[in-house]
Amino acid sequence: MLNRSLKIGIVCPYSWDTPGGVQNHIRDLAEFLIKAGHDVSVLAPAIDESNLPDYVVNAGKPISIPYNGAVARVLFGPVAFARVRQWIAQGEFDLLHLHEPAIPSISLLACWAADGPMVGTFHAAAKRQKIIFAIGPILEPAIEKLSARIAVSEAARLTLTDHLETDAIIIPNGIYATRYSDGNPQEKWSGNAIGFIGRFEEPRKGLSVLVDALPVISRFAPDVKVFVAGPGDPEEVIEGIDPQLRHRFEFLGRISEEEKANFMSSVALYVAPNTGGESFGIILAEALAGGACVVASDIPAFDDLLGHGEFGALFTSENPTELAKVVIDLLRDEEKRKALAIRGKAHAQLFDWTRVGDQIFSVYEMSMVGSQKVGLASDTRPWSRFLNKEEKL
Amino acid sequence: MTRWLVAACILLIILWYLSFTATRLDRLHHRVETSWANLDVLLQKRAAVALEIAHSDIADPASSMLLTAAAYQARDANIQNRSQAESGLSGALGLLLEDAEHLTTAADSALLTELSGLTDKVRVGIAIHTDAVARTHMVRNKPIVRLFRLAGTAPLPITYEFEADVL
Repeated sequence: MLNRSLKIGIVCPYSWDTPGGVQNHIRDLAEFLIKAGHDVSVLAPAIDESNLPDYVVNAGKPISIPYNGAVARVLFGPVAFARVRQWIAQGEFDLLHLHEPAIPSISLLACWAADGPMVGTFHAAAKRQKIIFAIGPILEPAIEKLSARIAVSEAARLTLTDHLETDAIIIPNGIYATRYSDGNPQEKWSGNAIGFIGRFEEPRKGLSVLVDALPVISRFAPDVKVFVAGPGDPEEVIEGIDPQLRHRFEFLGRISEEEKANFMSSVALYVAPNTGGESFGIILAEALAGGACVVASDIPAFDDLLGHGEFGALFTSENPTELAKVVIDLLRDEEKRKALAIRGKAHAQLFDWTRVGDQIFSVYEMSMVGSQKVGLASDTRPWSRFLNKEEKL
Repeated sequence: MTRWLVAACILLIILWYLSFTATRLDRLHHRVETSWANLDVLLQKRAAVALEIAHSDIADPASSMLLTAAAYQARDANIQNRSQAESGLSGALGLLLEDAEHLTTAADSALLTELSGLTDKVRVGIAIHTDAVARTHMVRNKPIVRLFRLAGTAPLPITYEFEADVL
């Protein structure tokens, strides 16, 4: 174990002020490393500069591009490149940790510009895309500079091997398991309550699958209630629900971390009907840590996280009939529900930051062996060295 | 006149690309060396811990003998036989730890924790090293690298066939 304090630079490709899994992961990682006594600087695009934590350096205003079924707020271009170079040159980092370096973003720019120990984390899981084979040869030399690659799940690793023919070490995303472990069960969310958390307006979160399954569920469990938490406007969703079932839905809006813990320990079932585009499913890890019994679609990331059904029930993705069947089965059988929740809670400890953070840090250590500090790549090219020498004379 | 300009531009681009590829290859060779050195240190440490375990109360005389032999073999093996010897050591350790789990005392469990920490690091080290080697092979097989002998006199790295699942 290295005992000296390190200077670590982390690059976040997505806008810091929009909520998202990658941003949360980076925030938690940065705070974990700072608590462990390291000096951390996070470079991220941001819309509003006033609300940034003091370890975040603003890289500029992001632009919105469609990516992987959602809108990604990223940043690139010559001005951003100059900013990235400046950050690297001034930072004197021992190590750079780039997130999602294979998409057009400041992560890729940093990977291009820097030289030295670099670790890359790949979050996305996407189907094989033809376009990547066209830009692959350009990405290849850049991605190759990473001394170690981390994938957050088996699905993300497969995406990486498919697209860029390189392997990665799997380290899951982290959660603070203890924050969720002692939630107080709330009366208002008890009974046959089904929980759902997420940006429900996005089709890939799959709330419509749950809506379609409800008529059948309510026939067998007449007192079922669905609690939907997360940012968004419920009007449109409510319009799409059968008027007779509308009163079974309750929209809670965005809820705090503390409420989330209570929510997870209260609801009978936590349902995640996502239809795809998910590479890890941090919310499932949180639900498990909170002691909820989880029902999720069988997309690769969820299947993997739930141990193929050992730590939570799975149903065929985008199939409301199957979802209804699984939900009814579990609502009727409290023993089974409890057993799943207990197994799940034990499993969730694997995702705790104390464990995940150490794993990430040991990859850092391995990448730094025998290397110097991070510098700019252009300084080490032979011809630049040649030119610099002439200047000195 | 323009013809000469175009030709000069193309030549410049080719020269830039050659320099770029040579830098890339140089970086890869450097990576292979450092990652191997790192892995080597870790494996030596692992062999040392294995020897310590062999001399502790965890091991019965028979497994102690097996483990000692495997540890020495792993330490003395040359690079070609190294992965086989290390796999042998992994096997011997696995065999011992399988039935030693319930009878460890506090002092011994510290040794086992050290071993498991080391095993995690070895796993990462192997991943980094094999990747560097595979990459280097790939780049060195490019026609342009062969034609211009960009690899220079650097020896072709040896693929380290470590059976990761044995760990």
